[in-house]
Formats: sequence, C-alpha cells, structure tokens
Amino acid sequence: MRKFVIGILLFMFVGLYATAETVKIGFFAPLTGFAAADGHSALAGAQIAVDFINAAGGVNGKMIELVYYDDAARADQASAIARKLIEQDKVVIAVSGSYSTPTRAAAKIFQEAGVPMISAYAIHPSIIETGHLIFRVGMGAPVEGVAGAYLAVKELGAKKIAILTMDNDFGVSLSEYFKDTALKLGAEIVFEKKFPLGEKEFRAILAQVRVKKPDLIWATGYYAEAANIVSQARELGITATILGQEGYDSPKFIELAGEAAEGVIIVTDLNRDSEREIVQKFLAEYEERTGHPADMVAASAFDAIKVAAYAIAQAGTDAEAIAAAIDNIRHMYDVVTGPFFAFLGREAIRPVEVQIVKEGAFRFFHTFTEPEIIIPPGL
Amino acid sequence: MDFLQQLVFALVLGSSYALIAIGLTMVYGILKVLHVAHAGIYTLGAYMALLVVTHLTRNFWVALLLGMVAAGLAGVLIYRGVYYYILRRPRIVPLIVSIGIFTAMNELFRLLFGPYQHAFPAVLRFPMVITPYFLITQKQLLIIVLTTFFLLMLYLVLNKTRVGLAWQACSQDLSMAGAVGVPVDWAVALNFLLGSALAGAAGVLMAFYRNMVYPTMGNVVAYKAFVVVVLGGFGSVRGSVIAGMLLALVETFLGSLEWFNFPRDAIAFLLLILVLMFRPKGLFGRL
Repeated sequence: MRKFVIGILLFMFVGLYATAETVKIGFFAPLTGFAAADGHSALAGAQIAVDFINAAGGVNGKMIELVYYDDAARADQASAIARKLIEQDKVVIAVSGSYSTPTRAAAKIFQEAGVPMISAYAIHPSIIETGHLIFRVGMGAPVEGVAGAYLAVKELGAKKIAILTMDNDFGVSLSEYFKDTALKLGAEIVFEKKFPLGEKEFRAILAQVRVKKPDLIWATGYYAEAANIVSQARELGITATILGQEGYDSPKFIELAGEAAEGVIIVTDLNRDSEREIVQKFLAEYEERTGHPADMVAASAFDAIKVAAYAIAQAGTDAEAIAAAIDNIRHMYDVVTGPFFAFLGREAIRPVEVQIVKEGAFRFFHTFTEPEIIIPPGL
Repeated sequence: MDFLQQLVFALVLGSSYALIAIGLTMVYGILKVLHVAHAGIYTLGAYMALLVVTHLTRNFWVALLLGMVAAGLAGVLIYRGVYYYILRRPRIVPLIVSIGIFTAMNELFRLLFGPYQHAFPAVLRFPMVITPYFLITQKQLLIIVLTTFFLLMLYLVLNKTRVGLAWQACSQDLSMAGAVGVPVDWAVALNFLLGSALAGAAGVLMAFYRNMVYPTMGNVVAYKAFVVVVLGGFGSVRGSVIAGMLLALVETFLGSLEWFNFPRDAIAFLLLILVLMFRPKGLFGRL
C-alpha cells in the first residue's frame, strides 16, 4: 500500500513537473466532415513543426505541447473549442488550421479573451480585422485575388474571363478581389456565377461558359469542387486555361480530377520546387510520415507554429508581448511558405507562388515578388 | 443546340434520382415505412464497388454487380433484422429507427474508409455519342442505357410476374394478402432486395460518373429521393420516375441560368412545399 501511495505521489510529481516544463499551443482543424483531408494535412504539418522545434531544444528550454481539437470546419464547434483552449487548457497562443468561417468565429473569442491567434491558411479579410492579437501567415483573399488577376491578365494574356464563385467566405472574398483587379487590368468578364459549397454537378453551368468562349476560367473551390469543375469542363471540351487558388492545393485534387488536372494553374503559398533547405526537409518529412505529398495547408500550419514558437521565444508568455514580437518579425527565412519579409497589418508579407499541374504533380510556374501584388491593398 | 446538351445532363441526373427513389417508393408502397436508410444503401453500393475496383479488378461490370448484390443483401438485412420487429408500432417508430440506421451507416463508412473522397478508378469500354448539337460521354450514355434497362426489367417484374402481383396485393393490405396465401415475408424481402439493389446501382453509377466515393454522399440524396417520392405520389413507381426526371429538368435548366445564384439543391425543397400545399397526394398519387 505504501509503495502504491508513493507511486501515485511520484506520478503526480512527474506529471506536475512535465506540465510545468511545457508551453501549450492550441490548435484546431477539421479532422472530420467535408474538409477532413485538409484538417489532417494541417495537423500533420503542425506536429512536424512542434517535433522539429522540440528536437532542437524547444523554446526557452521548454518543450512545446500541441493541444488540438476537431472543429469539423464548423463555426459553432470552433467557438466552443476556442473557449476550451482558453479556459481549460490555458494555451499561450492558438493556431487555426481551419477554414475561413470557423476561423472567424474563433478569432473573435481569442481576441476578447486576450489570447493571440495565428490563422494558418484561412483567407477571409475580416479574420485579422478582428483585433490586434489575430495574425495570419497564409495569403489573405485580397492578395490571392489580386495575384490571380495579374497572373491571368499580365502573365497568361487572358482577355475574356469567366468567373465561377463558391458561395461561402472563401470563394466570395477571392472572386471579389480577382474581378476588381482583372477589370482594372483591362480584361472582360464574360460570365459570372455562384454555386453552393459541396456542389457536384457543374455541367449545366459549364455548358453556358462554353458558349461565351472565355480564354480563362477563374474557378474558386476546395479540392472536391475543383476536381468536379475541372474534369467536367474538360469533358465538355472546354480548353480554356483553368486558374485556381489554394483550395486546389491538395494531392486529393489531382487524384480526383485525374488527367483533367494537367495544365491547371493555381495561386498558392507553397513552392514545391524551392531550393531552400527548410522546404525540402519539410516535404520529405511530411511524405515519410503520411505517405503522400505535402500541400499548402500542411506547409502553412507548419509555418504558423514556427511563428508562434518564435514569438514565445522572443517574448515569453505575455499576450501583448507575443503580439508585439510577431509584429516585429522581419526577414524570417526558416519557414516553408516564405520567406516572410515582414508582418504588415498582422499579415505575413511574402512571395506569392504559382504552381502548375504537370504529370500528376504540382510544379513551379511563377513567383510574384512585386510589392503592388504581395502587399495587401490598403496598406 | 445548348438546349439539347442541357437535356442530356437532365436525363442523366434524372436517371440517378429515379433509380434511388424507386426503392424508396416500393418500400413505402408495401410497408408504409419511410425508409431513410435507403440513402445509406446507395452509399454502401458505391463503397462495395470501390473495394472491388481497388482490390479485385478494375472491370466496371464486376464492380457494379457486386455493388448491387451487397446493397440488395444489406436492404434485406435491414428489413429482416430491424423493420420486421417494429412494423406494428406507430409509424413514427420505424421512421426514427431508419434515421438512426442511416446516421450509423454514415459514421461506419467514415470510420472504415476515412472521411476523404476516394477516386473511383473503374475501367469501362462503352460507346459515346458525338453530334454537332450535343455530346453524350460514355459515362452518361452508360447511365441512360442502364437506367432504361433497369426500369424495363422492373416494369416486367411488376406487371408480368406473380411477384409483382404479390407486391400489389401486399400494398393493398398486408394482413389480408397473408390470409389469402401470399407468402408476405418473402414478397417483402424480395421487395427490399430489388429496391436496394437499384439504389446500390445508382450509388455505383454516380461514384463512377463523378469519380468520387465519400461517407456523406447519401446525404443530399436522402432528401432528394424523399422529394421525388412525394412529388411522384407515395408508392407510385411510375410517378417516381417521372418526378425524378422532372426535378432534374428544373434543376438543370434553372441552375444553368447566369442570374440564378441560389443553391441548386434548394429547388427540390421549393417544389416539395408547393406540392404539399396544392396537391398533397403528389402529381400521380392515389392516396
């Protein structure tokens, strides 16, 4: 009996000791539901970052502990998770590995509770407008939409453009900035239509697109919608360039669209052909752990954790000090989707990557570094 | 010319609606049970075919056949294992049980195969139609031809065989049919077998058509089929086929309009409300 009690005491002591020596970073991503593939990518990316950092000695001598929950890409669950991370887990900082709608909901709660949050890849502009503690490492919709328009009109020479918009935060915000800029650059929008999230049947719409003979189709969507749009467009004999965004950036897109994916160009955060060491190290590690190639989501989650850890290393655990440390980041090279030149308006300023699908894989196509493209409008 | 092309899309979409709604309406006709789990059977057919395609053979016909067999057997199992024991309870009981089975099936698929969309890499040699006015791809032609074939077979079974006669007797009065010597148990089981096999076929065809199999693929189908059955008049096979085609036509033509920026799937609900308000027995119902 005495041994048992001592054992328990010892166990509690070790437990206390262990928790005292870790820094908790909160994390949420859609591990179930329609966005599950992205959620699992994001979680794997975040875990790789944590393991890399801990293997190198942690931050300020403490190990990082990733506390994560499944939000199923739903705003109500994300809100509940945010409260849990703040009150129960008492995390120092949180990272969203989720989509725009749940991230917006969680951001509000983190800001009000005075806990900093970094959005990995959710693009909606209003996320970082929530408050001074909310940051983003992935591209925002303004940058992505503007870069898409420059790519379409300037680089690819498109004159007649058709726009297909997924009717949610993601699709609507992207198409808005794309359309404004494309019109400004002198292109003509010959067709425009919205479709709901989860739509599978695009043939009726695409038959109308075909009549308008666009040279380029800007179609927003996550990988499942994207795969359907692309394969159904090619089935109907539409040969126009299809320009996508980071929603396409998943090996699932190529798997589902098959041969139709060839030649599709996307605006994204991740350059798989980058020669930077951290990129290749991350890509290799990710593929070894999961058995499939990495995507933009995983890379962004990796980077968000890196930024969080960097800020904690600089500033300790005080929320305001962490926020200031992120604001002061300049020329951060040790990230996969970077380098981050600076944080302006709580948003990472970095090159915008353009990838093309070639022989069943995403490949380098172009990189934008022009300030008028990579700095969000209004800054 | 665009009109004809859209007509082809509507025909394909309508075929899938008809195939899935038929089983639902057949079950309702005899047992008066709203068989929501029918949409789970649809998904089950697709997953079975996926297993065949990824582990056994790429041949589409084998996948279709085994998908239909698995779906048919699962349908019988649900009847004999669950509905059989609660048929005499108030009608709300089997309905709630059915919803429970459907939800459980969805979760089971998610646990077994993961929450992702899987590609469906079946191989098939089938002709296609190319005219200056419209194009029917091989997958579209396959769906149209197979649906026509299934409907023809079903017509023959319903009208020219003793099984069809037994079903008619059962649908009029289950206990009376038993009293005059119809083997009710067998008739109902066969009804489930056939209806579920058709739903399985619809699942396999749509998985092949869209190159996607995923746990929640039956969700939209569940309420679409319900709308089709209400529209066509509960228990009317002919009504379900016509209603399925009608819904697909409206969805395709409205959905293709540039100004129509509403969710395509909401059209079904609008139609449902209109039908329930002005013609509650459905377009072809005998209720």
